[in-house]
This record gives sequence, structure tokens and C-alpha cells, in this order.
Amino acid sequence: MKVPVSWLREYVPVEMPLAELATRLSVTSAEVEGVERRGVADDGGNLGLFRVGKVLEAAKHPNADRLQLCQVDLGTGEPSQIVCGAWNFGAGATVAVALPGAVLPNGLQLEVRKVRGEASNGMILAEDEVDLGQDHDGIMLLPEVEPGTPLADVLPLSETVLTVEATGNRPDLLSIYGLAREIAAIYDLELAAWPGTDPARAADEPVPVEIDDFAGCPRYIGRLFRDLTIGPSPVWLKARLLAAGMRPISNVVDVTNYVMLALGSPLHAFDWKTVASGKIVVRRARGGETIRTLDGVDRTLDPSDLLITDGERPLALAAIMGGEETEIGEGTTEVLLEAANFEPHGIFKTSERLRLRTEGSNRWEKGVDPHLAEQAARMATELIVDLAGASWVGESDVHAGLPERPVVRFRPERADAVTGIETAPAEQERILAKLGFERQGDDVLVPTWRARDVTREIDVVEEVARFRLEDVPFTLPYRRAMFGTLTREQALRRRVEDVLVGLGFHETYTPSLLPAGAEGAWSLPEPISVELTTLRTSLVPSLVEAARRNTDAGAERIALFEVARVYHEGADLPDEHRHVAGLVEGGFGRAKGVVEAIYAALKAELDLERAEDPRFHPGKTARTSAGLFGELHPALLDGEWGAFELDLALLFEAAGGPVAYEDVVSFPLVRQDIAVGVAEDVEAGALVAAAREAGGPELREARVFDVYRGEQLGEGRKSVAIRLAFQSSDRTLSDEDAAELRGKIVAALADQFGAELRA
Amino acid sequence: MDVPALETEALGAIAAATTVDEVEEARLRYLGRKAELPQALRAVRDRETGMALNAVRQAIESALEERRGALERAELDRRLREERVDVTLPGEELHVGTLHPITQVRRAVEDAFLGLGYEVRDDREVETVAYNFDKLGFAPTHSARSPRDTFFFENGTVLRTETSPSQIHILEEQEPPIYMVSIGRVYRRDAITATRYPIFHQFEGLAVDKGLTLADLKGTLLHVMRQLYGPDRRVRFRTHYFPFTEPSIEPDVSCGICGGDGCRTCKFSGWIEMGGAGMVDPVVFENVGLDPEKWSGFAFGCGLERTAQLRHDIPDIRALWEGDLRVLRQF
Repeated sequence: MKVPVSWLREYVPVEMPLAELATRLSVTSAEVEGVERRGVADDGGNLGLFRVGKVLEAAKHPNADRLQLCQVDLGTGEPSQIVCGAWNFGAGATVAVALPGAVLPNGLQLEVRKVRGEASNGMILAEDEVDLGQDHDGIMLLPEVEPGTPLADVLPLSETVLTVEATGNRPDLLSIYGLAREIAAIYDLELAAWPGTDPARAADEPVPVEIDDFAGCPRYIGRLFRDLTIGPSPVWLKARLLAAGMRPISNVVDVTNYVMLALGSPLHAFDWKTVASGKIVVRRARGGETIRTLDGVDRTLDPSDLLITDGERPLALAAIMGGEETEIGEGTTEVLLEAANFEPHGIFKTSERLRLRTEGSNRWEKGVDPHLAEQAARMATELIVDLAGASWVGESDVHAGLPERPVVRFRPERADAVTGIETAPAEQERILAKLGFERQGDDVLVPTWRARDVTREIDVVEEVARFRLEDVPFTLPYRRAMFGTLTREQALRRRVEDVLVGLGFHETYTPSLLPAGAEGAWSLPEPISVELTTLRTSLVPSLVEAARRNTDAGAERIALFEVARVYHEGADLPDEHRHVAGLVEGGFGRAKGVVEAIYAALKAELDLERAEDPRFHPGKTARTSAGLFGELHPALLDGEWGAFELDLALLFEAAGGPVAYEDVVSFPLVRQDIAVGVAEDVEAGALVAAAREAGGPELREARVFDVYRGEQLGEGRKSVAIRLAFQSSDRTLSDEDAAELRGKIVAALADQFGAELRA
Repeated sequence: MDVPALETEALGAIAAATTVDEVEEARLRYLGRKAELPQALRAVRDRETGMALNAVRQAIESALEERRGALERAELDRRLREERVDVTLPGEELHVGTLHPITQVRRAVEDAFLGLGYEVRDDREVETVAYNFDKLGFAPTHSARSPRDTFFFENGTVLRTETSPSQIHILEEQEPPIYMVSIGRVYRRDAITATRYPIFHQFEGLAVDKGLTLADLKGTLLHVMRQLYGPDRRVRFRTHYFPFTEPSIEPDVSCGICGGDGCRTCKFSGWIEMGGAGMVDPVVFENVGLDPEKWSGFAFGCGLERTAQLRHDIPDIRALWEGDLRVLRQF
């Protein structure tokens, strides 16, 4: 909300520096997002160059048909000659003048210059030239004032505007008066009485109002005005609205907006002559009913929408926007002022469904105090009578009982216990009283404008706490026991990440959602884009995309990994698992090397079997207890890529516990290599497993280091070379011992695989 | 034989030798089979003379050894110097990877809280409305419940909009005292721009114990912000509103770019918004069956992307999600 400071000053004496005020308001009440100047800059004496002038003579410019040549008394004794393009004045008019040297709000600096051969010593001002309105049809005509009077004494030439962002629980801060109340409490200042006093009512005409739905519309005050004249608002009112970010329209409409901004209770005005039935009925819409709103849009209504009707036809979309038919126009002479109250939830739903948000709906959906309607009606009545020359001739106020002020038990020591700082009960009471709370024994009475937000003791505590926020010290909880440690899984996750980084992988983050059509049971019915639609069941496709982009960008040595969730079908909720996946330039061997390194780092036994998966090369894929690795299917990405994807929980299940030390120092290791010829389909892993079985605990190492195929082996056979190492932890193995173990292994291989010893 | 003169002469000759060969010549001259001193030693018959001569021989031997060693080392150095390489040439290529900046922040957050004795957890990303909104006290009209702000699945579950459901999960699982930080992915229906991404990461802290105060929350956040951003940072707190805390506050940390004087990064305020915080609302305690008169607590949440962006001065959040090696290799 934009808050002109001059307006605030009507309700509370704002004398402190505005930067300080902005900080205090931000800390205690609502964030001040900006402090902006508008209108005429008042630095360097600029404001003094704007004066009231009296036109002594005005005649057509001798050399230009469209210009007037004026002699203007600026109180200096000597009249000044000024050329002016407007014709809505003549001799005797009191006008606003900017002198040579003055800087206008648009940045233009005036100087003495010749216009068609005649000197012009300044400029007679139109309201748009000093940000006081939008009118440029003529210059501003002022009430008679002594010539030479500083213009700033007569017009709000210079304004400072605060941009205040109130939180959703504080609709009372969507008003100038509400903010003034906060400032009065922060600085212990006097808050002015509520603005607005009823003028005398000229008659006692009935104003028929019926409310069909008190839940949706708890209160409706209708006030009737006759014999009024629609016209532009005075400059002060236009300037206020413009500074607050609203467009001036006409006196009556401007008054409704002005009062909404002042008090926070939105109003509406109907052209009463267009309400044929002469009565107001508030009811829910009927199916298929339509209304053309003020913005010219025909809107089809839903039975949950609340309407203001004349008993038959809809007149307005309650709380959101008026109807076009009953709009105030230039010829309007009779007005029904609506000062009502609407329930937030329904308004929120209608405004959501119609995608129609207004200054009014924004306030109603946060919950406006029904008591406020009365004060808003008073303030608006006073202004309408004053500015539009109206007679106030009738009123009705319909409601089904107004809410009582909430009563909340409040212990001042509770505020101390929550904040951790002592605040004397008298000071607490002072703060609460400034905000409109009243002490009653052990309880406090909550002001009506806070009734939705403050219903419990803790809510009252917050009222005190926010005024002490800066004084609350910085402490740490006192604890008798502290246990801060990563879980085993969290520690192992870091280990996996670090191992991959050490192996040259770069960690990447990719979206959890894949394009529509991807594999996965969980798709958003209303995604923000087709690219982000389906929760992924595998990380590999995202890494393939990332690798593709990197290839396109000319990157070399691509090695990416990600640790993230995948989402499987599940029952009411998906089964979520955390995976680690990687993609690296190179083939099967590369992928397997990485997976072996991960398993080794985790002290996990790598058991694997041949596998097939659509993401992988059908002949170069293996499954471990935790997932898959192998060569990426070449159809997915050009080139040879190693890929793996492991479920971290399963991987950590395989991870070893604390290492049990083995004596590998006291007795020497005996190395022996063997090479055996076997059929092509015998897998190296099977040979090693058989060797381990046969070698027993003294076989410390068995690793395939070469596979050879050649003519002398014959068709369909290969030679597999295995490095063996024997060691005992209680004696030195002799050559004979080693030969015996080797013999057992060779025999087992021959027996199980028909292996022929070659070396 | 003038033994002292011989010793002086020998040591002088050894010291004067400039090559290993000259040292060898000196050895032959003074200690060779036919040299004077060995012959005298062979001929000696009394212990006193023998010991004296032997001492001289040892002195000469050790001088020879020392001189030879020094000359050999000088010779080696001379040869090695000829093998000099251009030390500015690149080394053998061994590639080390990088942790993503968000992971680096995640670990920094974890470590800061581990040091304060917190446990670290993460919960599911797809949540029921009960855990994401209801039990956290979101009003029925709260805008976050709208499909315009939140991703809903057909069965009414949601992609969690904050890590706050962890508060409910841990309070349902464990008896207080509880000190935990939950870190993970969250989702909001925002269009992708330089400052917003519909998927991001948060950390959420929760402390529930007896007698916790707003002062404890301020102290904890000050500590954590300084851990993340540096010891000279200041922290301030503004009143705010969240459904599940009361009082609610927003912490700001002093801008690291301008030091608090005002610049573009902090929008000329000197402060940068860090997230949300507050004292656990009694409604949350009631929803999990704890007595709010007996237990008190505080909670806070903060974005990891924001932290990473501020730490590394990354202007566009999309850079964190594109897997571009040109970006990743910088970290």
C-alpha cells in the first residue's frame, strides 16, 4: 500500500526522520519497502520558486493565435510577463506559477526565454505539471490568496510516499489510520480521533435493504443522497489519491476510494436512479446469472458468488466490483452509498475463480471489521455532502448482530517467558492500550479491528513482543544433553559424494520433474510447463540431458553425478528413494571402475549379475544389490558413455561396518599368476568365485588381469589370466604350500569349467 | 716420522682436492699400501704409538670420506641441474570434480547445526494436505492452498511447499526435547525466472524444549548466519506472519556486498531477507498432542539457493539447475 506521509500526519504527528520511521515500522508492524518522493523536489530552494500569482492582464499573444500573453503579480511589486497556452482564465484569476530556475517533477528546469518574440518569465501551471492531477485541459485556478504566497502553503506540491507491505493477518494496516495507530504506539504519540462526523440528515426517507445471506454479508449500511452534482474532486483529494496510487475519477467515486484508503473498509456507490425497484437485496447468484462489471466484462456467475441486487437484477459483484449499469456518471444526481461488510472466504473463492482482484477484494478477503462500516459511512457522508453538495436523506443499517470484542486471558509474565526479556506490566499495558486493547482484570478486550487475528493469549503476547523485538537479547538454549551427529546414512552419503568428486565427477542438480510422457506414476494434472510434468523414477534421463547440453557447448571430459529422490508408484503417496547416478565419457569399463571405487570406499562387497534395462546397452549392463551400471544405450546419446544409478539405502545396507584388522605384515605374501583356457561363455567372475572357494582363507587376492583370444586357443575359447596372492596370518607359506593351494584352484577350475592350465 | 706434519699435509691435500679422482689420489698417497702411515702402523709395537697413529689414520679417513661425499653430491647436483625442466609447464592431468554449490551450502548448514547439537533429517517431498497445511495451522483461505501457488496431484496430495512438514513428522515421532534441522527440496508454482525456480531447497530448524524464548531464536539465528556468511555479519529481525509460528519474525542479515551501506544487491536497504522464523504456535503443539503450557519452541526456514547465490554472487538462479560444466567447474 502506498502511504502519503502528509495524510499520515493528519492522524499522528510524524516528526521523526522518515528513514528511521521506515525502519521502526518494518521491525514492529509491516515492512516499508520504499520511501519515495513525488511532486516538486524541495531541495536547493526549489519549492520557493513556486508561487501564487494574480493575473493582472491577459491578452492574445501578438505573434501567436493559440497563446496568451499575461502580466502576473507575483507580489514583487513589478508584474512579470508570462506566456501561457491555456485559455480557461483571464485577468483577475489567481494562478499557480513556477518561476525561472524552478525544476518541475518531470525534471524540466524553467528559464527565462522568448516565445514568439515575447519574454516569458516562468510558467502558469496545470495540475498534471506538478503531479496533482491528470488534467491538462487548462491551468489550475486557485481561490484568492495574496500574490507571492509560496504555492506549497496552498497546494500539496511535495509529497513523500511510503510503500508498506502488510502481512496477511493485518488488514487493519491496509489503511492510513491503522498505520497511524501503529506509529502512535511505537513513538508513544497521540492518535487523532477517527476521521468523519455525520452531518445533519436532511430527511428520513426509507432505504429498503434486505440481506438473504448474513454469513456472506454480516452487515449492510445504505445511505441515500439526493440533489448532488458529480464533478471533479478538489486538488487536495486528487493529489492524495494519485500519491496513493489510485486514479481520480469523480468526486463521489473518489470519496469512496479515499475512505477505503483512510479506514480500510471498502465502499461502493450506486446511481440510485438506475435501481428501478428502489431497494437493495444481498443474495447468492442463481445458476447462469450474468453481470457486466465496471470493467466492461460480462461475467457468468456461480451459485456461490455473492451479489448486490435490486431484488431481481444483479447490481454488483459484492465486495469485488460494481456493475456497469449502476455506475456513477456525470449526470448522476442520486446516490446510494454502500458501507457493508463481507465474509472473506467466499470473496476469496469468487475472486480466484473469476481471476478478478481489486483494491476492495484484497481487503475483504483478509477479513474487515464489521464495526468499521459505520465509521466509513460517516466519513464518506461528510465528504459527499461537502464536495458534491448532496443532501443526505436516508439511512438503513442491517445486520444480524455485530460480533463482540474477543476477551482473552492474558498474563504479562507469559510475554516475558516467550520473549526472554522482561517488560514491566505497566509498559505492556501501555503498548496494548495504544493499540486499542483494554485491560479487564485478568483479561484483555481485543479491539474489533483485530478480532480475527488476536484470539488467544499468544496473540496478545505477540503484540507486546513485536514492540520489544530489537531489545530481545541474543542467547542460546540452555541444554543438559546435546547429541549432534550425522546418521550413518548421512555420513555415507557424504563419502559417496566425496569419492565421486575425487574421481573427477562434477555434481549437478536437475529438476525432479520430467517432460510429459516420461515414465512415472506421478504426473501433475496442471503443470506449469510440459517440461516439468512427471516425477522421475530414474536420474539417468536428466543426466543424459545435461550431458547433451554440455556436449553441445563443446565441453570435454564430461563426468556428472547427482544425488536426488526418485518417486515410485506407492499407495496414497509415492515411494520415495534417494539415488546416486552418474554419467561419464567412456564405456562399460569406466562405469564399472567408478562403481567398484564407490563400493571399495564403502567397504561393500560388489556382487553383480548380468542385466538388461532400456536405458543401457543390452550386452554391457550389470545389476548390483543397489542398482544398475553399464554402458549407456547408444540410442540415448552419441558416443560411449558409462552410466550408473544406485539406490543409496540399498548401497548403505551393503556397506561394511568397522574394519576387522588382519595381520598382513608379519608373514610374507606369495604371488602366483595362472592363465587358463576356457570356453568363451565362461564369465571371469565365475572363475574368480570358484578360485576363492577352492583357495580358502589363505587366498588373499584373485583378480583377472588379462583376457586373451587367439588361434592357438581354438574357436570359441579364451585365455583368462588371474593374479593370485597367498598369505597366512600365522606362518610363512613355503613354496610347497603355495604350489598346493594353486593346484587346488587349478583343479577346481578344470573340474567346474573344463579349464586348461596354460601357464 | 713427523706424525703431526704428516696429518697436516694429508688433511691439506684432501681439502685441496677438487674432484673425486683427486680424493682417490690423496687416499693412495696417505693411506695406500705403500704409504708411510700404514707402513708405520704395521711396524708399530707399543700401544701408545699405535693409538696415536691410528687416531691420525681415522682423522684422514674421515676427511677423505667427507670430501668425497661433498664432491660426489656437488657432481650430482651439477648433473641434475642440466636436467632442469620448465616448472611452469602443466602437470600430469589428474581431474578432480566439484560439489554443487547447493551441496556445499547444505553441508555448511548441517555442520553449523551439528555443532549446536541438532540432528539432521529430511522427509518426503510429496505430502498430504494434512502435513503440508492443516497441522501447521494454515487458514482455509491461505493463498498457499490455492492450485495457483501449489502443485497438486489428482489424489489431492501436494509437492511440499516448504520443509515445515518435518516439524510435524518429528513431533509425532519423538518426545521433546527436539533439536533438528530438515533440509530438502520444496516446490512452488512459480514461473522460471532469474530469481525464481519452481523447485528449490530449504533448511528448516525446529527446537522444542522447556523454557525456550525468542531470545534463544535470535541467538541461534545469529550464530547460524555468521557460520554461513562470516563472523562480521549483523542480523536484525522484523515482525512477520506465518501460520505455524507466533510471534513470527523475518531475519535479515547485513548485506555482504556493501557492508550495510546500501547497494543494488540489498536494494539499498543494507539488509538482505533470509527467510522466516518464529516461536512455535500453540496450535502446532495441540495438533501433535503436546501441552503448549509445558513445552515451547522455535522454528525457522531459509532457502539454500538464496544462500548459495549470496555466497558466490550468482545473479541468475537458473545457473544452479542447468548442469553446465562451465558453471559447475567454478565450485
